[in-house]
Amino acid sequence: MSPSSTRSRSSQKPAPATASSGQAHSAANHAATNIIVSLDHVTKTYPNGCQALENLSLQIKRGDFLFITGPSGSGKSTLLKLLYGGERPTTGKVLVNSVELSGLRGNNLSKLRRQIGVVFQDYKLIPRRTVLENVAFVLWAQGFTRKEIHRRLLPTLKLVGLQDKANCFPEELSGGEQQRVSIARAIVSTPPLLLADEPTGNLDPDNSWQVIKILKKLNSIGITVIVTTHDEQLVRQSNHPVLQLRNGRLFQAK
Amino acid sequence: MLQFITKSDYLLRETLLGLKRGGWMNWAAVSTVTVLLFLFGTSLQASWQLDKLLNQFGSQLEVSVYLDTGVQAADVTPFIATLPGVTTATPVTKEEAWSGLVRDLGLSDIQGATEQLNGNPLVDEIKVKANSSEEVPVLAEKLKQVQGVDEVQYVDEAVQRMTELNQGLNWLSLGITNMLSLTAIAVITTTIRLIVMARRREIEVMQLVGATTSWIYLPFILQGLTLGIVGALVAWGFITGVQHFIGEMLAQQPEFVQFLASGLQPTPREALLLPMSLLVLGGSVGLIGSLFAVRRFAAR
Repeated sequence: MSPSSTRSRSSQKPAPATASSGQAHSAANHAATNIIVSLDHVTKTYPNGCQALENLSLQIKRGDFLFITGPSGSGKSTLLKLLYGGERPTTGKVLVNSVELSGLRGNNLSKLRRQIGVVFQDYKLIPRRTVLENVAFVLWAQGFTRKEIHRRLLPTLKLVGLQDKANCFPEELSGGEQQRVSIARAIVSTPPLLLADEPTGNLDPDNSWQVIKILKKLNSIGITVIVTTHDEQLVRQSNHPVLQLRNGRLFQAK
Repeated sequence: MLQFITKSDYLLRETLLGLKRGGWMNWAAVSTVTVLLFLFGTSLQASWQLDKLLNQFGSQLEVSVYLDTGVQAADVTPFIATLPGVTTATPVTKEEAWSGLVRDLGLSDIQGATEQLNGNPLVDEIKVKANSSEEVPVLAEKLKQVQGVDEVQYVDEAVQRMTELNQGLNWLSLGITNMLSLTAIAVITTTIRLIVMARRREIEVMQLVGATTSWIYLPFILQGLTLGIVGALVAWGFITGVQHFIGEMLAQQPEFVQFLASGLQPTPREALLLPMSLLVLGGSVGLIGSLFAVRRFAAR
């Protein structure tokens, strides 16, 4: 993994060549299939007039691990929402796995979302279901068989170190544990892309580092991981590429 | 097939969970449906039975023509059959009528009875079927004019009034059924909507992890259907109970009342048709109610 594997363009740094654009056409095609996320001149303006993202272009390859930092309100969450179809771009194109999101509605959007795991800052766990049920919930929702669900649950819980808390309810867990349940839920259906929105936002440094370690482990088995955070300390400790969002524009920070 | 089993497994579990969380609202929904279907079923039953009761008084299209003494039915019948508005004309000789009457009276000795009365006291009769009930009075007037006819009898106004009353009752019960259906739909909509609201976090997460709309909302629709069907079953139970009770009360009544009540026993066709119509109405009310409840959320 090297910083050069991720390219960012902003209006201030007009269109530096992407890894493939200078090479032969067939090579460009090959590279295109290797790109899992692509944003093309994306602008997002909310109905109240607030401009969250401005003319943003970005390509992320399969297997990358990318940090996106920036102060709160800089548009980090908006960027992730665009990727899982929680918001639609005002102008520009968003492609995930070569599928354009802006035209997706209903069941097609549901199918695309099955390829994306999302970890939320506020965990979004279901209060009256146990850890096991919260994680299994995704598989039920996606129509997996009972047998397959049982096969997947334990390894996933082991991965996040919660095999002993399977029958606890979310309120009986610490913040760090709840966040790890949320990660388990995001990855149990083995999506190729994992989005984590401030996964360490509410955690102490120890727990934060544990979460990042889990994310790295997932990346090592081939999952593309995009993490937003405002924790500069955490970013400095890791050796992954970092993009910075400021006032809706992207800058290469590392 | 495997997928179907997985699906029904999930759907059943979610539906039961939803019903469990509905708590007392379920009772509100079920009891509204029960009241609706009880009234619907009772009025349906009542109208069937009133129909049968009216038929016991004789067909409303039939006119009995009694001939003068000595006039043979066979002589007059061909002429009557040609009158406008007559469908069929069937002669009944006084001998046939007499033996029928004697049998009805429970006498076994026809000979003896005839002798006692100095011969057969009856006259020949022609049973005339009219085209429609409106024509019956006109036809009766015409028949009276015919040579050799002594008297004309047809089902009188009282029965006609009862028929009209029956129709009026049918309209009334249709109106009440409609109004109560709307009420039941509203209650079911509210019940399901409350459950949807209570679970909107789950629904949000389901949407985010890629559950399809039908997958999310089918359990709610099944819940509505269950409420409707349970209401139908309870209502059916009540109606059957009431029928039983009335039946037992009638068994202790005088013979004449029992004769009238013999039409109250449901025929096998009705015994099947009643629960079927209750289930269909209950099911549709539940289905429509729950569809209303999730429509607004699903549209987002």
